Amino acid sequence: MVNHKTFIRKKIVVVFFVCLALFLVLAGRLVYLMVFQSDYYTEQAKQLHERERSIKAARGRILDANGNVIADNKTVCTISVIHNQIKDPDRIVEVLSKELDLSEEYVRKRVEKYSSIERIKSNVEKEKGDAIRAYDLDGVKVDEDYKRYYPYGELASKVLGFTGGDNQGIIGLEVKYEDYLKGQEGTILTVTDARGVEISEAGEERVEPVAGKDLYISLDINIQSYATQLAKQVMETKQAERVSILVMNPQNGEIMAMVDVPEFDLNNPYELPEGSVAEGLSQEKQQELLNQMWRNGCINDTYEPGSTFKIITAAAGLEGGVVTVEDRFSCPGYIMVEDRRIRCHKTTGHGSQNFMEATMNSCNPVFITVGLRLGVENYYKYFKQFGLLGKTGVDLPGEAGTIMHKMEDMKAVELATVSFGQSFQITPIQLATTAASIINGGNRVTPHFGVASADRQKTEMEQFSYPVTEHIVSEETSATMRMILEQVVENGTGKNGYVEGARVGGKTATSQTLPRGSGRYIASFIGFAPADDPQVLALAIIHNPQGVYYGGQVAAPVVRQLFENILPYLEKMDYN
Amino acid sequence: MADRRSITANGRRGSRAQESFFDYTLLFIVLFLLGFGLVMLYSTSSYDGGLQHGDPAFFLKRQLLSTILGVIAMIVVANIPYHFWEKFALLGYIVSVILILLIIPFGYEAGGAKRWLRIAGMSIQPAEIAKLGMILFLASLICHMGRKIRTGKGFLIVLGVPMPICLLVWKVTENMSSAIIIFGIAVLMLFVSCPDYKRFIILGLVGAAVCALAVYLIASAGSADSLGVRGSRILAWLDPEAYASGKGFQTLQALYAIGSGGILGKGLGMSMQKLGFLPEAQNDMIFSIICEELGLFGAISILIMFILLIWRFMVIANNAPDLFGALLVVGVLGHIAIQVILNVAVVTNTIPNTGITLPFISYGGSAVMFLLIEIGIVLSVGRGIRLKDL
Repeated sequence: MVNHKTFIRKKIVVVFFVCLALFLVLAGRLVYLMVFQSDYYTEQAKQLHERERSIKAARGRILDANGNVIADNKTVCTISVIHNQIKDPDRIVEVLSKELDLSEEYVRKRVEKYSSIERIKSNVEKEKGDAIRAYDLDGVKVDEDYKRYYPYGELASKVLGFTGGDNQGIIGLEVKYEDYLKGQEGTILTVTDARGVEISEAGEERVEPVAGKDLYISLDINIQSYATQLAKQVMETKQAERVSILVMNPQNGEIMAMVDVPEFDLNNPYELPEGSVAEGLSQEKQQELLNQMWRNGCINDTYEPGSTFKIITAAAGLEGGVVTVEDRFSCPGYIMVEDRRIRCHKTTGHGSQNFMEATMNSCNPVFITVGLRLGVENYYKYFKQFGLLGKTGVDLPGEAGTIMHKMEDMKAVELATVSFGQSFQITPIQLATTAASIINGGNRVTPHFGVASADRQKTEMEQFSYPVTEHIVSEETSATMRMILEQVVENGTGKNGYVEGARVGGKTATSQTLPRGSGRYIASFIGFAPADDPQVLALAIIHNPQGVYYGGQVAAPVVRQLFENILPYLEKMDYN
Repeated sequence: MADRRSITANGRRGSRAQESFFDYTLLFIVLFLLGFGLVMLYSTSSYDGGLQHGDPAFFLKRQLLSTILGVIAMIVVANIPYHFWEKFALLGYIVSVILILLIIPFGYEAGGAKRWLRIAGMSIQPAEIAKLGMILFLASLICHMGRKIRTGKGFLIVLGVPMPICLLVWKVTENMSSAIIIFGIAVLMLFVSCPDYKRFIILGLVGAAVCALAVYLIASAGSADSLGVRGSRILAWLDPEAYASGKGFQTLQALYAIGSGGILGKGLGMSMQKLGFLPEAQNDMIFSIICEELGLFGAISILIMFILLIWRFMVIANNAPDLFGALLVVGVLGHIAIQVILNVAVVTNTIPNTGITLPFISYGGSAVMFLLIEIGIVLSVGRGIRLKDL
């Protein structure tokens, strides 16, 4: 204790208490962090430790009028890599590029990308997925999910549409009814370490996915497949470019069939049709070809309707009181409109005829006369009243609008050409819908496929309703039109549409496509049955048929064959 | 306190033949901390060990070996009268300098820093030797200076002597934390051996003012890019969440661990943050895993153990037979207290992040060995206490 001075003892005690004070400060800090901030940091840490994986919802099915499933799901696999778990990247690249038919660089780029989970390929067949799983590669994840599957392949391809990699609708009903079909994704929350390895003891939280709703549509696969067969047949025999057939119920606008051949395989929608050279084409060019292939001519494209449009001119004339069935006309084979001489298709002229006969003959000068009697303003009024200026509102995406003269620009010559269906363009669905509305008693219907949507068990069913505009023509005009159009088939240009034992009404058309004189024609026929109480209406359009190109000879037989088959079928359906 | 101690010690021994004293309390505290440290080290490092070395007990085994060697060294040193070491005081200082300089050609890197020397198959951190060397050298120096220490010149000498070592440690091994600790030990020993208070209060105030000014300047400069490593560390300290992917990452992960521990913790072995989220979990950041697994309860218990340890140091220092012994104990007290306080302060983001290990608990072979040698010296000083003096 010689040198051990008292001040040193005191100072050591001071040091101790300074240390004690600092420890108390730190303890206070710990209390703050672990008691008052605990909830905040616990939540932050939880978010850090949990990984979210989504579970795809099963997409709703699409069922036809008879309850046949026409769009379904099948189990496929999604292959992904989890960067942190990869042990042998070279082998993964080798195996995946071999099994999945992908280029090595493509796979390598994804394998080497630093991300928590990177998708390599989705919609892989289940057998392929099982094969990859059998390699037991660390860091490769094979997740099963659903892929859209179309049991009927090509059937109604342009109507149904298909889905993309995320099971989202791309065209057709698949995109229009996306909200009903897609359902709600579920999630799996798993606790992982920093490398992303799941910690099994921690368990997982699941939010179950909600399956999409089934869609019930009015399309009938029996009618659709028969119509497709007929369309293919006529396309082949007439070496036509394209054939469209539309079958609808004129009373309510339900579409029973919509064919636009050539169709494409819904299960391989990105495969270009045979014969087209895809190699050497740029990405955009290929996409253009695909878009062309997916186009639905019935609604996406417009055309000059030609003589089938005389139905509208006749209805407008009758409704406007400028013509009656008995009115007599004389056709010298042409008519002068202002300084223009417009020829009839029968250059020698139809001679003297009443309005009914003129319709049966599809005489251009008579319809020009009727159009001129109405005048631009009235004609335009009916054009609008019949719903021709707008879109039909069909439940498919990409409906084209009408291309029509502006009223101010419409002079006598334009009016004359419009009266027999030229110099303007409408879509086939627009023509069919307008004709249907004229013959169904005058109610403008909305053409549609969607009838109802329901969950799988059909416990909750939502019926769709569509707007109807009543009295676009009077009951009388409608009845007269049915009578005239029945005569067209019984005794006129449409007699090839006649069906033994049935009352069919209809109208033919043969229109030359623009530019005139190219030798390209569109032959079409619109028919309905029974003529006194129409239950079915069909429109057949043949683009650029070779050889004989008259609508009465090319298109009317198609509708006749269709009616011969589906009329008994529809009657039987009614009994049930 | 010393009086009460004498009664219990007397009661236990009773015989006049065994008048010497042995501080079992200190020994048991140290052994407890070592045992606890090994358990926590295994809990914390088994994930990393399994991943990087294929053996979950990899770090535990290495630490266990160092601990055993350290305990043997402690027992040997405790049985050598501490004056034996006085002759080596200057030598210790010189050897420290040489070893640090040897790092430049012969050192090897680990974890991005070149701080280790390999001697006979063991890696040794010269900075740890320097801490021990500094305690010994300063104790001897102050004893020799006698009353001269009270003069301004003496004051400056004692402050100046550790400077070369501090600068070497800072610059050669890029280990500012060890430099701060060595300097802190020197200041503490000087404080104890000078009767004056004023100088130290001024020194403390100036130091605090410089720190506050630096923080203010860096915070108002705002951008992390122009400030270098230390500047951005200070910005990350002020707002770790704004620098979550950079300098604030480790701190933020430590806070997640501490905060999610709550009052009672997740249970031993149940830490999530040790699973690769918190870098250096078994080293500097082991205290945050203690908080996460054992909660506020466990964390405070560990702090209490360290307070008890420091209390034993105080008792021994105050009863040491001579100034040299007392100063040795004060040096060890300073070393351990500074490291514990700074480590817990860093982990809880009370001060900016700097790499300081938690004595007896963090992973680190040379650290634990030299700490145990220091404890051996303290025990040796304690043995010099004659019971009748108490």
